[in-house]
Amino acid sequence: MRLRSTEAGWGVLLRTFHWLIAALILAQAVIGLSMVPMGVTPAKVRVFALHKSIGMTILALALLRIAWRMGEKRPVDPAGMPRWQRGAARAVHLTLYFLILAIPLSGWWFNSASNAPLAWFGLFPIPSLTGGYDPVWKPRALLTHQMLFWVLVALLVAHVGAALWHHFVQRDDVLRRMLVGSRERNGGG
Amino acid sequence: MKVALGWLCTAAVVCFAAPALAKTWQVDAARSALTFTNAYQGVPYTGQFRRFTAVIDYDPKDLAHAKFEVTVDITSLDTQNAERDHTALGADFFDTTKFPRAYFVTTSFHQAANGKIVADGTLTLRGISKPVMLDVAFSPQGGAATLDVTARLKRLDFGIGAGQWADPSMIGNDVTVHGHLLLHR
Repeated sequence: MRLRSTEAGWGVLLRTFHWLIAALILAQAVIGLSMVPMGVTPAKVRVFALHKSIGMTILALALLRIAWRMGEKRPVDPAGMPRWQRGAARAVHLTLYFLILAIPLSGWWFNSASNAPLAWFGLFPIPSLTGGYDPVWKPRALLTHQMLFWVLVALLVAHVGAALWHHFVQRDDVLRRMLVGSRERNGGG
Repeated sequence: MKVALGWLCTAAVVCFAAPALAKTWQVDAARSALTFTNAYQGVPYTGQFRRFTAVIDYDPKDLAHAKFEVTVDITSLDTQNAERDHTALGADFFDTTKFPRAYFVTTSFHQAANGKIVADGTLTLRGISKPVMLDVAFSPQGGAATLDVTARLKRLDFGIGAGQWADPSMIGNDVTVHGHLLLHR
């Protein structure tokens, strides 16, 4: 198992970041969409707290992932991939990186403007971005958080769809190198 | 007869009420505040009651005749969080439909061993009356004075957020109430 990425596949660290963040995003979507209509009970408060804590975890992981990725090789695109597909893939990936920062940040911003508590899994408090209640920015932050989420959903449809298309239609290595890294016979693993 | 009665009343006011009036302060409501601190999900926050009235009879040299009487409009709660305020006024918490006001009145004042003044009183909140102790700090400045009082309460003593909200790790049981009053004659 290679820690670092090569031209043939993603290293174990980036693959871990990718799938961990993917799993947390899926959990956040389910929690986020189901928590809002809940009646006001302690359970709702706990679910909101969980959503906030996972969100801050994603933000931290995204920062670490981007920092690590800066010094990484990028596996080469499959031979014969058209220029527009390479461009589209780059654009989607770049926007996804932006969103895994921007969505937690907008949630943190909304939480701050709401003057709601924020303690990472109840362990330590995370400071406010607005220095207290801010009724002007509160609705804007919420709208930003929600809009960016739906942009993420649309991009993930494209991202997952493209990965499956590469794997099942093009029968290339694009999905495999994110699942298992580079092929064993190419000296990876 | 009417005139005589009138004079008698005036004399009574002058003789008996005047000494009491001499130590009754006017509260400058705009520059006074009734705040409290509590913890929500382990994170401390401060709230306030924007409307309250206080009758302050106080002379540090005459504690025997000192008296505080405070009425708080609970619906004026402001914790700088609209959702939290809305929930806090509901039936699970302050239940302001039934109990829109809190009332505090002192019963006696004494000087503690450390020299500080302590007021004993009764707080009626959410229909429950309990003894409450106030730390009193009074500093006169010419014809005016500032009065700072602090009380440490337990919200569950008054049934605020009992039942499903009782867990003190979610909403702290300890509440520190602080009154900062600007007084003038």
